[in-house]
Amino acid sequence: MSKKPSITQSKLPLSGRIVMFFIRHVQQGMSSMGELWRNPVSSIMTMAVLGVSLSLPAALQVLVKNAENITQSWNSAAEISLFINKGRSEQSIQSLLSRIKAFREVESVTYISREQALEEFQRLSGFGEALSYLDENPLPAVVTVTPSLKYSSPTGARELLVKLERESEVDFGRLDIEWLERLQALLKLLEKTVLAIAALLVLAVVLVIGNTIRLAIMNRRTEIEVMKLVGATEAFIQRPFLYTGIWYGVIGGILAWLIINVLVWYLDGALAELLGLYGSELTIQALTFSELIKLVLLASFLGWLGSYLSVRQHLRSIEPS
Amino acid sequence: MIQFEQVSKVYSGGQKALMDVNFHLRQGEMAFLTGHSGAGKSTLLKLITVIERATAGKVSINGHNIANVGPKHVPYLRRNIGMIFQNHHLLMDKTVFDNIALPLVIEGFTHGEIRKRVAGALDMVGLYGKERHLPIMLSGGEQQRVGIARAIVNKPPLLLADEPTGNLDPKLSMDILRLFEAFNDSGTSVLIATHDLGLIARMKYRTFTLREGRMLGGERSAAEENMR
Repeated sequence: MSKKPSITQSKLPLSGRIVMFFIRHVQQGMSSMGELWRNPVSSIMTMAVLGVSLSLPAALQVLVKNAENITQSWNSAAEISLFINKGRSEQSIQSLLSRIKAFREVESVTYISREQALEEFQRLSGFGEALSYLDENPLPAVVTVTPSLKYSSPTGARELLVKLERESEVDFGRLDIEWLERLQALLKLLEKTVLAIAALLVLAVVLVIGNTIRLAIMNRRTEIEVMKLVGATEAFIQRPFLYTGIWYGVIGGILAWLIINVLVWYLDGALAELLGLYGSELTIQALTFSELIKLVLLASFLGWLGSYLSVRQHLRSIEPS
Repeated sequence: MIQFEQVSKVYSGGQKALMDVNFHLRQGEMAFLTGHSGAGKSTLLKLITVIERATAGKVSINGHNIANVGPKHVPYLRRNIGMIFQNHHLLMDKTVFDNIALPLVIEGFTHGEIRKRVAGALDMVGLYGKERHLPIMLSGGEQQRVGIARAIVNKPPLLLADEPTGNLDPKLSMDILRLFEAFNDSGTSVLIATHDLGLIARMKYRTFTLREGRMLGGERSAAEENMR
């Protein structure tokens, strides 16, 4: 008895099926793009919602990026002031200076002698008259140490301070970085807030796309039933919906990028003025091209994910009866 | 081609649609399935196309037990069965061409091949030149023939029709039956469910009769059934 042909085998050769698989992908991708054009109002509404939802995390990313830029330039400004014991000779101070300079943690050293300190104090404080009544100069000599880049972080600078204080000529040292630490803590908080908000908005994007796709599936219920009746696989039926989700994501991502650029352009003048007051010449940076690509990739992934979740849930429930 | 052995189907509500049904549709045979509405005709067709699964018994197609066909393979099974419905299940917003091409698109034929086959199918059902029409522009009989063209366009070895002449007048109904005969002549097995006994009485084909979910008497001709 001859072998009966399988009732589930395809009539096409394997090679033809593989080629057609890719052609179908392109066709279904394009036709789902066309599908968006056919219902322009609802498509544009959905894309606008996605653009706005995505622009917020992207704007926060711009904020964090620029804040980091600014504080990095402040970071290296950390300085350690060392107050020298009174009664040390100029010679011993000079030897201290040369020893400190040799530390690999130290970028540069400035010495302010007692006389210079007094002079400066008289000039800047307005107490010059009062000082002249004193018998002797009350001010200590000061050595200002700028840590090298590697040790300019709060913890690094603190380590260096402890090391410097071990020198016998040094009375005590002061590291004025508390404000920097607070700023950094603040930045960390900002960054975490941004992450949390971004996560929520990303979830919103997935839900919006999921719901849009759900409506699209419901609208095409009869078509899906017929396709199942004539032998369409789940993969074939769900593919146009997945592409629709991806297109939503891509266009939403591009919209978000446009919104950010407009926002940056709008804020740039005001921010430059503010930074000018702080003596900084930094300009605000918008999203770079690679960040645009990342944004669009992320958005299209979210679009795919939203529609995949929706398709999984709703396509199965539609069966011919 | 199709074999039912002791097949029963009980719906989840407890409604017994089929009880111990046995029948065999031979390779290349054309036959009718009759009975009053509610007798189980539609359920029987649904078991063949795996829209429903049997509660008990064995349904085989081409010698393969379809209980062994998993959900993933059901679509491939359906590609080998042309289905025709009373309400024809056409997509109203797609052209006649797109409707008929659907099974070919699903199976992954090239565009050129699809055009050729759709033209051939339209020619066979007598609708040549109506590719660009929307189904709404066609008469009931023409719509039914579009449904038939879709069912035969990928040349399935088995054709199932559920009340294909339900909405048509006797003359159109006869035309449709002649069409099925033509497919049968070219080797396709055909099973037609209908309650239109007057229509099939004059024909020489075997008739399976269902009554309240049971198959009556096995293989009786429609003429005999009519005389009772």
